[in-house]
Amino acid sequence: MVLSYIYCTLENPPDGLGPSINGFDMDIFTFSIHNIFALLQQMSIILVIAYLFTKSPFFRSFQIQTLHGRQLLSLYLIFSIFSILGTYFGLRIYDAIANTRAIGAVLAGIIGGPWLGLAVGLTSGIHRFFLGGFTALSCALSTTVEGMVGGLVHLYLVRTYQQHRLLSPLVAFLTTMLAECLQMVIILLLSEPFSQAVALVRIIALPMILSNSAGAAIFVSIIRDQRKMHDDLGVIFSAKALKMAEKTVAILGRGFTMDTAKEVASVIRDETGVGAVAITDKDKVLAFVGLGSDHHLIGGKISSAQTLKAIREDRIVYADGGEKKWRCNLSDSCPLGSILCVPLRVDNELIGTINLLEPKDKLFLVTNKSLGEGITKLLSDQILYARYIEQKDLLTKSELQLAQAQINPHFLFNTLNTIIAIIRKDSDRARDLLMHLSNFFRKNLKHTGDLATLEDELNHTNSYLVIEKARFEDKLQLEMDIDPSLLSLKMPVFTLQPIVENAIKHGISNILGQGLIRLSAHREPGCVRITVEDNAGNFVERNKKGLGMNIVEKRIKNLCGGGHGLDISCIPQKSTVISITIPEEGCKDA
Amino acid sequence: MIRALIVDDELHAREEMEALLAETGTIEIVGSCGNGIDALKMINKLKPEVLFLDIQMPVINGFELLNMINADIMPHVVFVTAYDQYSLKAFEEKTLDYLLKPVDSDRLAKTIAKLQQTIVENRPPVYETEEILRIPCLLGNRIKLIGMLEVEYIATSPSGVNVVTAEHEYFTEVTLKVLEERSPLLRCHKQFLINVDSISEIILHEGGLAKIQTRSGKMIPVSRRYLKVIKKKLLL
Repeated sequence: MVLSYIYCTLENPPDGLGPSINGFDMDIFTFSIHNIFALLQQMSIILVIAYLFTKSPFFRSFQIQTLHGRQLLSLYLIFSIFSILGTYFGLRIYDAIANTRAIGAVLAGIIGGPWLGLAVGLTSGIHRFFLGGFTALSCALSTTVEGMVGGLVHLYLVRTYQQHRLLSPLVAFLTTMLAECLQMVIILLLSEPFSQAVALVRIIALPMILSNSAGAAIFVSIIRDQRKMHDDLGVIFSAKALKMAEKTVAILGRGFTMDTAKEVASVIRDETGVGAVAITDKDKVLAFVGLGSDHHLIGGKISSAQTLKAIREDRIVYADGGEKKWRCNLSDSCPLGSILCVPLRVDNELIGTINLLEPKDKLFLVTNKSLGEGITKLLSDQILYARYIEQKDLLTKSELQLAQAQINPHFLFNTLNTIIAIIRKDSDRARDLLMHLSNFFRKNLKHTGDLATLEDELNHTNSYLVIEKARFEDKLQLEMDIDPSLLSLKMPVFTLQPIVENAIKHGISNILGQGLIRLSAHREPGCVRITVEDNAGNFVERNKKGLGMNIVEKRIKNLCGGGHGLDISCIPQKSTVISITIPEEGCKDA
Repeated sequence: MIRALIVDDELHAREEMEALLAETGTIEIVGSCGNGIDALKMINKLKPEVLFLDIQMPVINGFELLNMINADIMPHVVFVTAYDQYSLKAFEEKTLDYLLKPVDSDRLAKTIAKLQQTIVENRPPVYETEEILRIPCLLGNRIKLIGMLEVEYIATSPSGVNVVTAEHEYFTEVTLKVLEERSPLLRCHKQFLINVDSISEIILHEGGLAKIQTRSGKMIPVSRRYLKVIKKKLLL
C-alpha cells in the first residue's frame, strides 16, 4: 500500500549535501534504515486516522461482503483522503518525497474491488501529477496501477471463495509489497532522466516498500480487531436477548396477566438496565417496574402520549430524550425523560405495549432500542404459544366436565326402575344399591384436581358395576384381577369408569347371551397396564373412538406423557380389549 | 282380562311391570321375555292383545320388532322406556300409549283404561310399518342381522323360515308373509321369496313352470301364478 513514493521534485539534484545521490558516498543501507524510521513515523499518523475511522458510525454499518452505492462512495472518499494525506505527509529526501500514498489505493482495491481501487488510485495519482516533478507522471500512473493490483487481489480472493482473507494483514502486506515493487519498476521505466530515477529508487525502494507494506498490514488488522470487537458485542447482545427469552417463556407459560406482566417487566429491566419498564394492555398499565413506580401506578389508565400513539397507530414510537422528549403527565418530579414504545401484537391483534424508559440524565442506548423491539416480537410469540396451550387445556377440561355432566338418562332411570323393583323383594339390597348410586354420582360431580389413585378409580367403577350388575343380573358377569401394589398409583381422574361404561353400553347390553367384563391392572416392563375386556366384540362396528374415549386418551397423553394412552383391540363377536397404559410410577401432578 | 306380553331386556323391569299389571286386576300376563327374537316367537304363538314393549333392547329394538309382526296378529302396543329420546309423542297415533320407567301406577291405570276402551270399540291397531332392512336370524346364542343385499332367497320348511345367502343358511322367526310385505323380495312360490338381484337364470319348463338359478348356483322353483309377476318385474 504504500506509497507512491516519491513525489519528489528532483529537478534540483542534490549536490554535495549529505550522501550524494550520484556518488553514493553514504552507505545506502544506513540511509534507507534512517528513512524507514522516518516513514514509519508518518505512517503512524495515518494509522491514528485509520483507528479513528473504525470508530465512526459508518464503519459499524458496513459489511465487507455487501458493499454498494453509498457505502462504496464513502469508501472512495475515505481511501482517497488517506492516499492524498500519504502524499502530503511524505518525507522529504532532498527534493524528492518518500510517501505512504499506496496504502489508501491498495487497500481500497482489496476491500472494495478493482473499480474502487482504480478510482482511488487515479484520484490520488492525478493529485500527485499536479504537484509536478520529474516523477509526476510515473508516480501518478503507478498509484493507479497499485489500486488495480489491490482490486485484482480482491477479485482473486472472491472468485476462489476466500472472502474471509480480504481483511488478512498478510494479504495486505504482500499485496502492497508487490504494488510497491511495481511502482519502482514504473519509475525506472518512465522517469527521465533515467540516471536520476535509478538514484532515487536506490534510496527510496527499501524504506517505501517496507513502511507501506507494514502500514497496510497494520491498517487492516485495526479494521479487523474493531470488527471483531463489534461482533463480540453482538454476541453479548444476542446472549442477553436469549437469556430474556428463556426467563420470559417460563413466566408467560402461565398466561399474560398482571402478575406475569410484572415479572416480565422485571426481567426486561434487569437484562437491559433501563430506568423503567412498563407493560400495558390497550388502555391500562399492567406493570410498571423501576424509576417512577411511585406515581406510575399499576392498573391506572395509560398517561404517556407516546404509548397512546403507539397503540393508536399500531407502530413503534420512540422519543430519544434529545430532540423528542418524553414528558411524564403524572408528576413533574418524574426522573424519566425518554421512551421506546413497542406495540405488542398477538396473532395480528394489538393487545398492548412494552415500554422502555430512561431517566433524563441517561442516554437511550441504541442496543437497548433494538433489544426492546426484538424482545417484544419474542413476547408476542410466547404469549401466542401460552394462549394456544391454555385453550387446549380448557378444551380438554370443558370436554371432561361435559362428559361428566352427561349422566346417561337411560342409566339413571333404568337404575331407579331396577331399585324400585328390588325394594319389593329385598329392601337391604335396594338400600345398598342406592348407596352405590349416590357414590357414583358424587364421584361424577366432583372434579377437583386432575389425578386420582387407581383405588379411587376402581371405587367409582365398582359402584357403577354393582348397579349395572343389578340391572342385568345373570346376564352380566364380572371378573377382577388387580395387582394390589398398584392401588396407590396416580392416573387421570375419570378414566376407568367411562371405559367400563362404554363396554357395557355398546358391548354387553347389545348381545343376547351372557356378558362378561374383565378388569385387570398389572405391571409390565416400563409401564402399568390397565385393561377392560368385554366379550361382545362390538368395537369394530363403532369403528371410531367416541367423544368419551377421545377425552380419556387426550387426558392420559396430556397428564402422563405422549407415550401413554389407549390401545384398542377387537375380535369381532368375541372380545374387545381396551388397555390403558400409564407410567410405571404413575402420572405426576403438573 | 286383557292378554298381555311384556318385552324388556332387564329382569327387574319385567318383574316390576308384571307386579304393576297384576295389581290392576284387568290384565292377564301371557308371557314375558327379554329380547325381540323371543318376543316375535311368543307373539306368533300366543297372539297377545297388548304388548308392553321396551324400546331399547339388544340387537332388535322395539320399533324393529313391530315391523316384523304379521299385520293380522298385530297386538296393541304400549311402549315402556326409561328415557324418551325418540319423542314418543310423535308415535302417539301409531301406538296405543307410552309409559316412562319407573312406571307410576296411576299413570298405568290411565293406559289400561284407554286400552279397554279401544278393545271395547274393537278398533284394530294400525301401524305404519317400515321396510325391513335387515333380517334378524338366530345363530347359536347370537342374533345375526342379514342385510337384504346378502339374501338370495328365503324358504319356509316345516322347521321354520330359512334365510339363504350365497354361503350360509340362517333360521329366522320373521314370517314369509311379513317379509313379502315389508321387503323388496318377491314371492316366486308358495314357500319361496326371491331377491330379484340374485337371479342368474330363469329356466322355463313345460306347463308354465320354471326354475330360478341364483348367482351362487342354487335352484329354486317358480310356480305358474308368480312367474308372470317376475317376468314383468324383469321386463321380459
